[in-house]
Amino acid sequence: MSKRVAIVGIGCSGFRTTSTDLSYREMIFEAATKCYEDAGGIHPQSIDSFVASSEDFMEGISIADEYVPDQLGAVLKPVQSIAGDSLQGLASALMQIKTGQQSIVATSAFSKVSNLSHYEKVAAYATDPAYIRPLKEHPYFIAGLEMNRYLHESFSTREQCARVVMKNRYNALSNPRAVYGAKVTLEDVTCAEPVSEPLGQFDISGHLDGAIVILLASEEKALEMTANPVWIKGVGWATDTPNLDSRREGLGGALYAKLAADKAYEMANIKSPVNEIDFAEIDDTFSYKELQHLEALQMCGFGEAGKLLEMGCFEPGGDLPVNVSGGSLGAGYLHEANGLQKVMETALQLRGEAGKNQLAGVETGLAFAWRGIPTATGTAVVLSNRL
Amino acid sequence: MGILEKITRNVDNRYWDPGVGAFPVKNRYTAGVAGQRFFEKIKEDGNIIGTRCEACEITYVPARLYCERCFKRLEEKDWVDVGTEGIIHSFTVVHKTLEGETKEKPTLLAAIQFADGMLIHRMGECKEEEVYIGMKVTAHFKAKPKRKGGINDIDYFKPL
Repeated sequence: MSKRVAIVGIGCSGFRTTSTDLSYREMIFEAATKCYEDAGGIHPQSIDSFVASSEDFMEGISIADEYVPDQLGAVLKPVQSIAGDSLQGLASALMQIKTGQQSIVATSAFSKVSNLSHYEKVAAYATDPAYIRPLKEHPYFIAGLEMNRYLHESFSTREQCARVVMKNRYNALSNPRAVYGAKVTLEDVTCAEPVSEPLGQFDISGHLDGAIVILLASEEKALEMTANPVWIKGVGWATDTPNLDSRREGLGGALYAKLAADKAYEMANIKSPVNEIDFAEIDDTFSYKELQHLEALQMCGFGEAGKLLEMGCFEPGGDLPVNVSGGSLGAGYLHEANGLQKVMETALQLRGEAGKNQLAGVETGLAFAWRGIPTATGTAVVLSNRL
Repeated sequence: MGILEKITRNVDNRYWDPGVGAFPVKNRYTAGVAGQRFFEKIKEDGNIIGTRCEACEITYVPARLYCERCFKRLEEKDWVDVGTEGIIHSFTVVHKTLEGETKEKPTLLAAIQFADGMLIHRMGECKEEEVYIGMKVTAHFKAKPKRKGGINDIDYFKPL
């Protein structure tokens, strides 16, 4: 079980706000083609196993897992589908290698949200059918309740949340894979159309289409395949109760993030996350989530994230750069593919391939994904370019 | 076209026919033994009940048949009346409809704490600027003949 595992290939298709040309399976084919080429031109026949993350509704096909193999080159191969965030898929691929069952495993995820005519209704259908859904409200009300409670408990401010949006959308301007890059003012965010107060239009990351495929390999294979492997040092995931009424820390907390990170840090032998992690790509589905998650991931104390943000700590030149890629607010929201997007951006940094957004001298990065409204599921992954 | 070369004109694109893509989902949901009793209490008595796990010292509202912390099945003796008065844990002003359109009149929603649980519901008889976290509120039920045994048998919550 001590086998070490590395990322040896990265490929993506997209990203854009609509995609009326390629089908989602063609997008995955394009991402897989790029990923396999990135891994030295491996043919999928040489890949042992495949893990696809997705959720029905986006595909427009029931039992969508049966529609996974062909676009990955996985026909007549071991294929597994994970109905969850793609970091849970990555964890599953990792375990297949760690157990010695497989040596090379591809993992994929996509978003084709532009195909949905009513995303809100799909999200509302994910809420409790007896106690929540009959209220017939836009499901982002849950984010509104969470944000208000988080601000109340942490003494963070609405303006600090707006500054998360400003930072991430500005960072996105220098990332060619980011779609929502913009120079945003404080007033743009605080005076934007309200959605579920205090949450406004620009506190919400914009939807995006795209596909990502990432190839993992055992240490032995990785060292043969690539000169710049990115090692998966630790992974952890946790899910709080789905019931909004009985979450351990109420509606202001993100205990799932803390528990996921605790496990990932333990596996990566990280004792002091704030000192040992150089940068982080973490969930910012909604502006307040970046602050709430930073605290839950122990990147700072409770209630400190907003003040540290104002001091510039999380800027690309700060002590702990956060979402240098632009995050979901700047790059776009990829639904179950969010996790792989964060891993992709973290891994590119660790390879020194992040272009204008490249950070100097980084060795260890954290990727963290949340599964979005109405879930309380998070997955954390620690990556490093050092064995 | 599409992989070797990019499609750059929208008119060249092809959508899946929406007639084929529509997915009308209609199904029933079983409220369960605890859910049924919880809603019947609201309908018949205009009152709110929960279940208490003595071992964990937690009272669930809405009521549950089992404790999600210690995994114990909750018994007849564990049913408790929590009354109709709660405290606002958080609130939000919702401006968008389920269709994503802007509402003419926004809805004030609150998460209201009862014992260790919560109900999420509309607020009434008060203005947005009057609501605060920690505010004491009480349930306003629909008239008994109009109750159907669901969460909307409570019309809204109002300040005490």
